[in-house]
Parts: sequence; structure tokens; C-alpha cells
Amino acid sequence: MNHQNHPELAEAFNKDFERTTWHDETLWFVRQKRDKAVYPIPEFQDLRTLASEIKDHTLSNLDNYLLEFEQNAIKNGVKVHWAADATEHNQIVMDIIKETSLEKAKGRNIRLIKSKSMLTEECHLNVFLQKNNIDVVDTDLGERIIQFRDEAPSHIVMPAIHLKKEDVGETFHEHLGTAKGEKDPQILTEAARQHLREKFVAADVALTGVNFAIAETGSFVVCTNEGNADLGVNLAKVHIACMGIEKIIPKLHHLSVYTRLLARSATGQPITSYTSHFTKPAEGKEMHIVIVDNGRTQQLGRADFRASLKCIRCGACMNTCPVYRRSGGHSYDFTVPGPIGAILSPNIDLHKYSSLPFASTLCGSCTDVCPVKIDIHVQLYKWRQIVGQANELPAAKKWGMKGLAKVLSMPKVYDLSGKLARGALRILPHGLTHNQSMNPWAKARELPDAPKQSFKEWYEENRK
Amino acid sequence: MKVGLFIPCYVDQFYPNVGVATLQLLEKLGVEVVFPMKQTCCGQPMANGGCEQDSKGVYEHFVDTFADFDYIVTPSGSCTYHIKKHYDIIEQTPAVQKVRKSVYELVDFIENVLKVDEIPVNFPYKVGLHLSCHGQRGLRQANASEITGVRDGQISKLLRKLKGIELTELERNDECCGFGGMFCVTEEAVSARMGQDRIADHLRNGTKVLTGGDVSCLMHLEGIIKRQNVPIKVMHIAEILNGNQP
Amino acid sequence: MTSREKILASIASNKPSLVTLPNVPIFEGDGSIERFKTVLEGIGGRAIEVASKADCQTAIDKYYSDLKNVASNIVKASVAVNLDTTKDILEQVDLAVLQGEIGVAENGTIWVPESNMLNRALPFITQHLVLVLDKKNIVANMQQAYDKLEGVGSYGVFIAGPSKTADIEQALVIGAHGARSMMVLIY
Repeated sequence: MNHQNHPELAEAFNKDFERTTWHDETLWFVRQKRDKAVYPIPEFQDLRTLASEIKDHTLSNLDNYLLEFEQNAIKNGVKVHWAADATEHNQIVMDIIKETSLEKAKGRNIRLIKSKSMLTEECHLNVFLQKNNIDVVDTDLGERIIQFRDEAPSHIVMPAIHLKKEDVGETFHEHLGTAKGEKDPQILTEAARQHLREKFVAADVALTGVNFAIAETGSFVVCTNEGNADLGVNLAKVHIACMGIEKIIPKLHHLSVYTRLLARSATGQPITSYTSHFTKPAEGKEMHIVIVDNGRTQQLGRADFRASLKCIRCGACMNTCPVYRRSGGHSYDFTVPGPIGAILSPNIDLHKYSSLPFASTLCGSCTDVCPVKIDIHVQLYKWRQIVGQANELPAAKKWGMKGLAKVLSMPKVYDLSGKLARGALRILPHGLTHNQSMNPWAKARELPDAPKQSFKEWYEENRK
Repeated sequence: MKVGLFIPCYVDQFYPNVGVATLQLLEKLGVEVVFPMKQTCCGQPMANGGCEQDSKGVYEHFVDTFADFDYIVTPSGSCTYHIKKHYDIIEQTPAVQKVRKSVYELVDFIENVLKVDEIPVNFPYKVGLHLSCHGQRGLRQANASEITGVRDGQISKLLRKLKGIELTELERNDECCGFGGMFCVTEEAVSARMGQDRIADHLRNGTKVLTGGDVSCLMHLEGIIKRQNVPIKVMHIAEILNGNQP
Repeated sequence: MTSREKILASIASNKPSLVTLPNVPIFEGDGSIERFKTVLEGIGGRAIEVASKADCQTAIDKYYSDLKNVASNIVKASVAVNLDTTKDILEQVDLAVLQGEIGVAENGTIWVPESNMLNRALPFITQHLVLVLDKKNIVANMQQAYDKLEGVGSYGVFIAGPSKTADIEQALVIGAHGARSMMVLIY
């Protein structure tokens, strides 16, 4: 299948006017909740600065902090694994699962339950494990919904935010036997609770992501609202936690900064319902940590873009982005959508994602909302230049730009071109100047009236 | 004080009245303004399109045109921001540094250089202010809702003091209009939708005259207003402050 | 070269020169019981003040008389739960009453270390959760909370209200996978 670029997917999304309205308003509601949670904290801006600076420091000493973390984790009885890329990550996870649980499973499929991990989405872990006869159940409600529907998450915090309750109702009717037409979130959630309780109890292995890993103690922190991470890992014999190398923070007390920022920025809650600190496995159980690079060290080497590694995956830039709200997460066609996805994805595949840095008006709201102060819109601008230099711009645009640049550096040519264009706009019929296939502007907008005189011409006449 | 007037390319070509109002306003405020005839554009359209390198000639031409002025004033937050922020890819000669430092958006110049905080104009209309993102978040001319719930800024300060004026209280005070330079055509669907949503917010809340500091946003919004036949009149802030009436 | 070595070498060659680590101040703030209660109620929890720790039993009798299987080391228990308790018994627990260590007024969260949990799964698998908290252990914010914590032990959780989700159209539903209700008894 041909990869569709953002404008095409966004245009398709916008075909349904009412649904676009709904999507925009739903996400804006989350942004407003965020504002309400942020404004009353007098030191919120100081916390953003601290969060940003702690991450800047950590990235500048990342190798040593990873070593410190590893050393402490091993001391704690945790097994630490390193994966250079997605393939290796998936293989490591499967090997741990098989080594620990094959015998116990006695011929049946091994049962894995997962709480939310964008890293495993990025590595396409589920598909890989399922191909290898491992039953994978996502336990976050949103993730479970899209797993039933065989869709990708459209948001990193609210994976099913693109769906209406009617959609979920239909999916649950099909998969969980809820009544046809049932769309009450309370009833649907209860159905999922009953269904997933069985899965929790039956699981052999539980996998979680990692929100923060603390070098000083070798601990890692997982934040959820549903309690699915803790319920899963505390019932299963084996806990596998997968983390990107950038999740490290130096000391335990640094968590005090991030735990005040994360949920407020993400959903407008003062903190997630559960902020769990895992340090040592329970007696008789196993804990594994898989530390993954998968392009991150390369991003670390790009001075203009390394700040993207400071991201704590709150999703606030998505909720605030006027483009994301009106194009949906799937229009980005990348694991992490929205503004942050648009600066992470070109590092992974510049050609495939070349339209994403342009899926923005550079309004800068993402930068101002970001709890770790990533200069997202500045990076979008910089990726545009790299896309331009790598010859990934559409040809018409590229040569148009070159032509325009020439005209604008030669005043006489500029004056004349302007005059001719305005003249043409005045003379030509509306149907031609507003032809929608030739002039996308005119699909929903009128062109400005073309005045007889430019300002320059007026000035020459009136002031010289 | 030697002040150079920069009229952005699209204003020059399509909204000469905004240029005229800017000039007249500055003259009324006692500023001697010169409009250098060889000026063209700040180079932003190409740069935002990913062709910053192609803009270098335009940047140099701009600096060459305006290097001799103490202040460069323009009725555009967006162009001002571009010059200040993105003229970092050409050699930072004293002239380049001077130009980047001395370029001012019109209202910023009026308030912070001329120290004028009130303009005697009668404007008995309900006015909706559209904050351009580059003015607001780029130049920090207005508070950002991501940072604070207090809605305030340079343009609204001046507007509020006009006689008879009422300012529209918007639901989304600083949502982008969706113009975004080339974005308005490359991402036409989202761009148009963003603009429609801004207009709907203004309509719901009673805006009769829509204004702002950037003609680019206003051109886009006016395009939608005209297509939808909506009873909102669009005026640049320079026109209102100059005493023009809708 | 192992992946570990590869990653570490790549970081060493790609990282910027050392940036200073900032000092995180202990921010001041309102650490009152009132604020703690208001915030907790705002996130779906409930806080009741009792005269002393001994009065927790009376409160439990009053509010949870309908719940049969109670696990606790603080009030009368009807189910014995320890490290070895099996899943099928844990699954039957209606109410767990456990000791909380530190309450945070700003966000209504309470620190529960493993040593207070009886079993790591208990605070999550129980249908309803009650945490008891000494009012002198309520602090204003997370800086003060982590400052007060003496390490995080093998496992510990900040719990803020009941389990919840808003994954269906942003409609808040209390009782996702964990506790359906959460009450704090402050003494």
C-alpha cells in the first residue's frame, strides 16, 4: 500500500465535519482540564524549567546514569537487558517469556498481559509475539479497545480518543457480548473490568512500560490511572519492564518535579491514581528491564533535535495542537502522533515522514504547553530545512520556492510581478481565479481583492 | 530617530490601505518615517516552506535595505519574529545584528519605544482581536493561555482604551487561525477548518469588527468571512488606531 | 561488541558536553487537612477524620458493614492475607484497610510501601480500599513528600483515589481495574 502523507489523511478526516468538530472539542476539553490543573500551582513554570534542566543534564551524562542504574538494578535482583533496536527488543522479550514460562504453560500458549507502553508500540511487539504463539492482552482500557479493533493508538495517553462511545459499544458487543446498542461508558467499562480480571489472574507474564527510571536507586516508576500495571505485575510471576534510554533521571527526589507535571499536563489530574515505584522483585518472582536504543542515540547526536528526547509522553502537545485536533492521530501514521511525533519521526525515516514537519502552522502552542519545555515548533522548522535539503519536498514546491526567492531578492522584478499578478486577478473571471483544483486556497476561501495600486505605488504618488 | 517603514510583500500588493494606515498613524504620532523603495520581503515564505537556504539572498537584501535605520517598524508580528529569530543563518555582520535588534512590530514600537499607551480614537464597535501566534508566542506580545489564565497583551491594552469600544470575550482566546504560510494551501483542509472555527467563535460571541496585528491571518480569515457571507468586517489594528472606520 | 557496549559507546560519542544539574528546592505550600480532603474528593476519593487510630474500626463498621471479605492488619479482618496468599483468595477480597504513610495535600495521594500492603496485589485487586493516615504525615506537595520518604523500599505506590479511566470518550468512570472506591481515614 502506498504511504499516504499527512495532508491526504487529514483531508479525509475532515470530510466528516461533525466528527471533526467532536474530535476537536473532546481534545480541547482535555486541554482546558490541563489549564485548570496548572494555573493554581504558583511554581508551575519553575517546575517546567527544572524538569527541562534535569533532563538536559541527564542527557549530557546519559551513559554514566545508565550504568549507575544498571548496577543498582542488578544489586536489587533485577535482570537488565540491552536492545539496540526494535528487532532485538522483541527477541529479548520473547526469550524472557519463553524461558520463564514455557514449562509452566505446558503446551498451551503463554499468556502475556501488558499495560501501556509506547515503546512496545514503536517496536511492534504485539504482532511479533502473537506470531510466536504468545497470547497478548493489552489491559489499559483504551488499548484493549483498539486491540479488539486491530487499530493503532491515535494518542499516546488516550489511545482510543478517536472513537465514540457508540463505536466502543459495537466493539464490545462483538467481543465481550455486551448488549447491542449499549454505549454507556460506565457499563462498557464494567464489562471490560470483568473480562480483564480473568486475564489478570490467568497471566504468566506481565509487561509494563517505564515512565521514569532512577539511576540512584535502580528503581523505575510506572504511572497509571486504572491500576492495570500493578494488578498485572503483582499477580504474574514475571515482570518485564521496557524502557527507552531517555527515561532515566538521576535521583529519587527528581521524581517530585515530574510527578507534579505529568498528570496535570496529560489529563488535568493532580497526579495519576497510581504512581508505582518498582525496585526489587517480590520473593519468588522475577523482574526484567529491557533498555532500548532504537534510534535514540542517533537523535542524541543531532544537536538541534536532541531535546526531543526529554519528552515524558504526557500528550499535552497533542491536546493543544489545533492541527492534531482537526486531523486525528492516525493522520500522522507514526507511533507517536502530534507535534512531538512530527519531530521524532523524521529521525526514524525522513522520506516516509517528510510531510509531518509541515503538518503545523508553527503556532508554538506545543512548546508553551510542554512540561519539559521542548522547543517543538522550533524543531519542526528545523526539520523542514532538512527535508528541503534532502530533496524530499514536492518538486513544484521546491522550484516555486526557488523562483519566489529570486523574485524577492530583485526589487524591480518583484514590483513588476506584483503588478502583473494583481492586474491578472482583476481581469480574470472569478471562476478561473477561484478554480478549486488549481487554487486550493479557493476551496473554502475568497481571494483578497486585488487593488489597482500597491502600497509602494501609492507612496510614490503621495509621499515622494 | 531614523525610522524605516517595512511593508510586507503581501500587504504591499493586496492590502495597501494597511500600509497607508501604518504610515499615517506613525506620522500622527510624530515619527518621521522613510519607506525605502527597494524593499521586497523578509524571506519567511520560503524559509517556512523548508527552503531557508534559498532565502539567504532575500535576507541580505532586507538587511541592505534597512541597515541605516535606528528602528524598522512593520505592521506584522510574523515578519518581525522571522527577522529576529531566523536571520541567524547569514553571517552576523554588525549590520545584520543591528537590523535584527531594531525591527519592531508596530504596536510594540508604539508602546515600548514611543511610550504611547493611549490613542484618541472613537471606535464604537464590538471588536474581536485575533492574536497572531508569531506576535503572541513568538514576540511575547500577549500572554499565552498555556502559561496563564490572564488574558492580556499589547494590542488589547491599546484597544481597550479606544472610546466606545467593546472587546469580544472569545472561548478560545489564542487558538491559531490556521493560516501558517504555505500551510494554508499544502494542508488546505485543516487550514480552512481552523479558520472556520475561529470565525465561528467570533460570531458566537458577537464580533462585528475583527482585527489583529498580522494581515496574513486576517487575509485568511477574511477569505472565509467573504465565502461564508458572514457580517464581520476585517480591519488591521493599524487601520483602527489610525482612526479609520469600518 | 554487545548491544550494551554499542549503545553506551554511541551515547558517549553523541552526548553534548556536561550540563549542570539544577538544585530542586523544597517548595512551600498548603499542607492542611482541609486541602487534602478537598483535593481527594475532587479525584473521586473520600476522606473522613476520626478521633484516633483506634476509631478506624468504628468507621469501617459504619461505612462498610455490607462488605464481607475484609483484609487488614489494622481493623478486624475476615480474610487472612500474606505474601503467600493465592490469587483465588485475593480475588475475593471486598475491602482492604491498610496503613498509609504520607499524604500529599496538593494531589490527594498517599504513599503505601510494600511493608504495609500484606501482599503486593492487595491494594489493587481489592474491590474497595481504605487507607488510614496520621494527620501529622500530611505534607503540601511532592517535593515535601519525597523529602520525607526514607527511600522507596522494594516496592511502593502513591495511591490517589480509586481506580479510574476516561478512555471512552473522556467520560470519567470510577472503578477501572483496581479499587472501585477509596476512602482515607485521617486520625
